[in-house]
Amino acid sequence: MAASSSNAALAPRDPLDPRPLIEGVHTDRTINDSLLEHVWRGAGRGWWACFGVALSMLGLLVIAISWTLYKGIGSWGNNIPVGWAFGIINFVWWIGIGHAGTLISAILLLLQQKWRTSINRFAEAMTLFAVICALLFPLLHTGRPWFAAYWLMPYPSVQGIWPQFKSPLTWDVFAVSTYFTISLLFWYLGLVPDLAALRDSSKSKAKRIAYGIFALGWRGSGRHWAEYKWAYVLLAGLSTPLVLSVHTIVSFDFATSVLPGWHTTIFPPYFVAGAVFSGFAMVLTWMIPARQALGLKHVVTAKHLELMCKVMLATGMMVTYGYVMEHFVAWYSGDPYEYAQFFLTRQRGPMAGIYWLMIFCNCVVPQIFWTKKGRTSLPVMWGAAILINVGMWCERFNIVVTSLHRDFLPSKWENYAPTWVDISLFIGTIGLFSTLFLLFLKFVPAVAVTEVKELRHELEHDSHGPAIAAAGGTHA
Amino acid sequence: MSAGGDQGHGEGSGFVARRFVVAQFATSDGLLDGTRKVRERGHKSLDTHTPYPLHGLEEALGLGRPKIPTLVLLGAIAGACIAYGMIYYMNAFDWPINVANRPPHSPPTMVPITFELAVLLAGSSSFFGFFALAGLPKPYHPIFEAESFSRASIDGFFLSVEVPAGGDPDKVLAEVRAAGAAEAQIVTESER
Repeated sequence: MAASSSNAALAPRDPLDPRPLIEGVHTDRTINDSLLEHVWRGAGRGWWACFGVALSMLGLLVIAISWTLYKGIGSWGNNIPVGWAFGIINFVWWIGIGHAGTLISAILLLLQQKWRTSINRFAEAMTLFAVICALLFPLLHTGRPWFAAYWLMPYPSVQGIWPQFKSPLTWDVFAVSTYFTISLLFWYLGLVPDLAALRDSSKSKAKRIAYGIFALGWRGSGRHWAEYKWAYVLLAGLSTPLVLSVHTIVSFDFATSVLPGWHTTIFPPYFVAGAVFSGFAMVLTWMIPARQALGLKHVVTAKHLELMCKVMLATGMMVTYGYVMEHFVAWYSGDPYEYAQFFLTRQRGPMAGIYWLMIFCNCVVPQIFWTKKGRTSLPVMWGAAILINVGMWCERFNIVVTSLHRDFLPSKWENYAPTWVDISLFIGTIGLFSTLFLLFLKFVPAVAVTEVKELRHELEHDSHGPAIAAAGGTHA
Repeated sequence: MSAGGDQGHGEGSGFVARRFVVAQFATSDGLLDGTRKVRERGHKSLDTHTPYPLHGLEEALGLGRPKIPTLVLLGAIAGACIAYGMIYYMNAFDWPINVANRPPHSPPTMVPITFELAVLLAGSSSFFGFFALAGLPKPYHPIFEAESFSRASIDGFFLSVEVPAGGDPDKVLAEVRAAGAAEAQIVTESER
């Protein structure tokens, strides 16, 4: 049935032969050259076109931030009762997108999933940039970000008071800043051997010096590798509970309140599943064009894409289960406010369109991945990935705005509409993310070259017995 | 100045150029085998240089237990203690605030930050501990003088042996060749 795929590039040669993780016959040298080639190749017209679009969106971000700081957050659409709106929606959306990077790089490493090797660098970079975008929103929401340091960080100030650590918002500060720091360290540690490979394959002296600085004098020493493997695997081990804790704590921002629609115990696992779901969708959204443009098809194969689709199907089902449980508990608890929130406000209220879009994108769309055709056709999976991104944004809108705009007392009800500043900030962060990502694709190998070489070496030596799999502390 | 230093560098700089024998092996298995053989000849300052970690490298080089896990554990303990102590001091001791009638010292609310700081310090110990143990960043190392050493990060498998002061590099060179090296050369540290 695999042969029914219409896309010739994706069609496996023999339906009974498992599809390879690295296509073609390679040596360390050919892997090195093919994976670094896109860095040495000058920026093409396509890259400049994308970069231009990204930069203009980034310009919009600068304007929106300047306006926010000049006018204050009154220029946003937030009101009472909708005191949290686009700011927190976008924060949660971006943080969630970042989670796929950590899942791929850390959890799949610990589970010894070899297929992660080709996509982890890419996904980790995405984590970093997504977290930068996310961090902008709470900072701007303080209105005066230059004061945010002493509202958030405990340091002895003349005011003599301390942050109040029983609030999940202070937990969030620690969770997100730890997440960013650890993701950065993990990413850079993995990058150092690749930077050395870039240094050593540079054609010009200026490039050799530039990459040499970031390679920190790496010389592939066996004594270093021995400690490096442990440093890397322990960072992965630490990132795994960290990534679960981050979105759990983000969900506590909501779940510890008493608002109908927020006050549920299912929030932590359902937020984490949603984060991974949207993160994989974002990885696919970028990976499908990038593997084409950067010539990475031999290491990011149809098998990788298919596995990512399966992860999206699984996490999509978990998210759907979360929705079902929320509705079930709202009915079963007998709480009239909960019932009204889930069955009247969300489904038939003024924002019902967003609710039904969420259900369509997050529950219905991923079902396409049950079919082999859905998991192997590039246009289908790309379209589905974009719809899932949209759906996950709608989910956060539902949680934040729809819950807030109609709570206990009808006299408190108020509608919500975003202003141009809200929309520009959101589009602007997409621009910031895209700009950073395009720069990353230009200057740094998009695939972890060292780890792919190591994988090739392992696959080649697989016939030598279980020696490879036994290396508990090993690096891929 | 010692015999190795080619440029004089003022009075009593005390620079003694280190000498290395750098050998390239054709395959990774050859490197592991060669490393074991050279080590059995009694050389202490051995190192391998490979584009990726090889299984069995630690045994071939005769390395002891790695130090990173201990460092990470200490980092985690320190982070947890700092976080718990900080919250206790600030919210329960220095300026207790009554929040919804919870006790000032309320351990469940202290779990998240304690966990996060433990992870932060453990992860930082792993990263910075590794670079400290490895002695990196180090822009210059004599081994970079070796011809075609740039392949060590691409597809080459190298063994380097530091020649002890007063030792005969040619003798080491012969030993390395006997251990199966495809190419071998002597490099001398340059004074910078």
